[in-house]
Amino acid sequence: MDGDKPVTNMTDVGKRPAARRGVFSRRLSGILEPYYYVSPAVVLIIAVMLMPLILGLSYAFRDIRILNPFSGGFVGLAHFQALMHDSAFLGALINTAWWTFGSLAFQFTLGLVLALLLNRQFAGRRLVQALVFLPWAVPTFLSGLNWAWMFNPVVGPLPHWLTSLGIMDTPFNILSDPDLAMWGPIIANIWFGIPFFAITLLAALQSIPGELYEAASIDGATTRQQFVSITIPFLAPTIAITLMLRTIWIANFADLIVVMTKGGPADSTQIVASYIFTQAFRRLDFGYASAIAAVLLVLLLAYALGVIALRRAMTHADS
Amino acid sequence: MASIEITNARKSYGAVDVLHGINLDIQDGEFIVLVGPSGCGKSTLLRMIAGLEEITSGDIAIGGNVVNDLQPKDRDIAMVFQSYALYPHMTVAENMSYALTLRKTAKEKVSAAIDNVAGILGLNALLQRRPKALSGGQRQRVAMGRAIVRQPQAFLFDEPLSNLDARLREQMRTEIRKLHRRLGATSVYVTHDQIEAMTMADRIVAMYDGIVQQVGTPLEIYDRPANIFVASFIGSPAMNFLTGTYQATGNTAAMTLDDGTVIPVLATPNASNGQKVTLGARPEHIDIVENGSVPSVTANVDLIEPMGLSTLVHVTLAGKPVKIFTLARPDLAIDSTVQIAFNMDKTHLFDSESELRLPPASEPHSSQPA
Repeated sequence: MDGDKPVTNMTDVGKRPAARRGVFSRRLSGILEPYYYVSPAVVLIIAVMLMPLILGLSYAFRDIRILNPFSGGFVGLAHFQALMHDSAFLGALINTAWWTFGSLAFQFTLGLVLALLLNRQFAGRRLVQALVFLPWAVPTFLSGLNWAWMFNPVVGPLPHWLTSLGIMDTPFNILSDPDLAMWGPIIANIWFGIPFFAITLLAALQSIPGELYEAASIDGATTRQQFVSITIPFLAPTIAITLMLRTIWIANFADLIVVMTKGGPADSTQIVASYIFTQAFRRLDFGYASAIAAVLLVLLLAYALGVIALRRAMTHADS
Repeated sequence: MASIEITNARKSYGAVDVLHGINLDIQDGEFIVLVGPSGCGKSTLLRMIAGLEEITSGDIAIGGNVVNDLQPKDRDIAMVFQSYALYPHMTVAENMSYALTLRKTAKEKVSAAIDNVAGILGLNALLQRRPKALSGGQRQRVAMGRAIVRQPQAFLFDEPLSNLDARLREQMRTEIRKLHRRLGATSVYVTHDQIEAMTMADRIVAMYDGIVQQVGTPLEIYDRPANIFVASFIGSPAMNFLTGTYQATGNTAAMTLDDGTVIPVLATPNASNGQKVTLGARPEHIDIVENGSVPSVTANVDLIEPMGLSTLVHVTLAGKPVKIFTLARPDLAIDSTVQIAFNMDKTHLFDSESELRLPPASEPHSSQPA
């Protein structure tokens, strides 16, 4: 504004007293200054993220049982050694894989189909789009309870329908059959998770320029060929990131299982996350629960790193 | 290569009529430019030829076959889009060969075709790149290459140069023209840029409001515009229009402008005395003259735009702005007065009511208003 004035360094003006104290302290405060500004955020992150994480990890190496006043001592790797021989934990690991990939495969496939359907023009499309999102908005405990009732032959219709269709011999609750129980929470989870994929994939679909499909139709591509050579490549980044996020999320997602089966019958629906819940809040063994949580954390980190590496390899090949 | 015949083609979206019965015969090997302001229906017509829009009624025939119900891929046409519509996940070579691959053309044939076209367009060094690694001009060239590789019956261009900067646009204009001369392919080219239309077309189709206003060679359209719309749309700087009344005595005629100024015009058998007419004069058909040398009128100088080669003088006459194009560098002062003379043989008279041109008695009947 005033061209005659020399440019002044506002920081120095503000630091007059420090300047008098000498070059060293002035330089030091110059170095420290940015950290003062970020310190509130750093303190918050340490308080709400890092501290609980470190505390939780430290529990894994200590004997912490709420009902035992003499517990709390350091036990080293004892929890992890016990885990190695804990057949319930190994079963939970297998169940976790089943639960995660069983839910994910159907959520993704049906979500993609739904997104493709919603991407077409039809009357009432906006209303349907809003309705499709509903399962996602229902609290998971409510949907868990609802589905548990639906599978219950006393109050729910599903067993009777399945019997009428000839799929079941007599109406019974699949949640009480150890071989079938896992399908209960998985079906509930599929219903709950489809909207997420449908909405994110729909957003990605709508970002594809329509002229590409027109160019392809002139080039002679059939609808299926257009899907393979335009839609899929465009959706690939979204698919990769949502699949990774949802894998981790579902692996940690015990709400539906805890509400519908509590891990039973006979641990047949126990996943690692619900096993942690059981150990911590039913057996009140926080130390052992933390050790399991630590193992789950490592497994999911390894998975995420693997996916990221894969993605990087793919994008490098791309450019 | 093939001719394209459009017979009474209409397009409506619900109750909204976009095209009101288009009739157009495009000769084999002709370069036709559809020109008009945005919303005039030119792109819709092109997309109807391509098969991307349904034809509400009427017929479109390519090479003698009515294609109304054919899929785009069965019409044997190629299209260059404004956004180029290159497949971002494919290399330049894959983009250009996509159509051939879908047709299960033999690999050797495909690569020979790609090499040939890449040579024509100078794309040899770029074949393994992806579109995002190309400049705008290069992408444009790939889009052209993708169309050429297929050797279609006709090329359709939808404002292909709009996304390029002015210099590149000029360059691509001549390249497309040369390419057309080399390939001799029937081409339909849509643009809103009248300079592209003038410089590229064998024939121009001027469209407005879903109606073909005039079809003709660039110079026909320029010299004998069918109506006020065509006259005002084609030509830059644009034609000047002045309103007044027509008055003829014997073989001489004149029009009286709204403020009483009288300008001599060519007599026309199509106008009667006292009829409301509009005078159209291109900026290069008005001269700045010495006082008294020829019949002239007085105007006020508003602005002088020197353009190096030429000068554009803005004046006010009868309350209307008038632009004068001159190769001289007139020594004029702003707000002074100047004597101007209209080149009577080159000015046009339009009926103010119907906006149609009133050709002078001396003109042979050659223009073809639609």
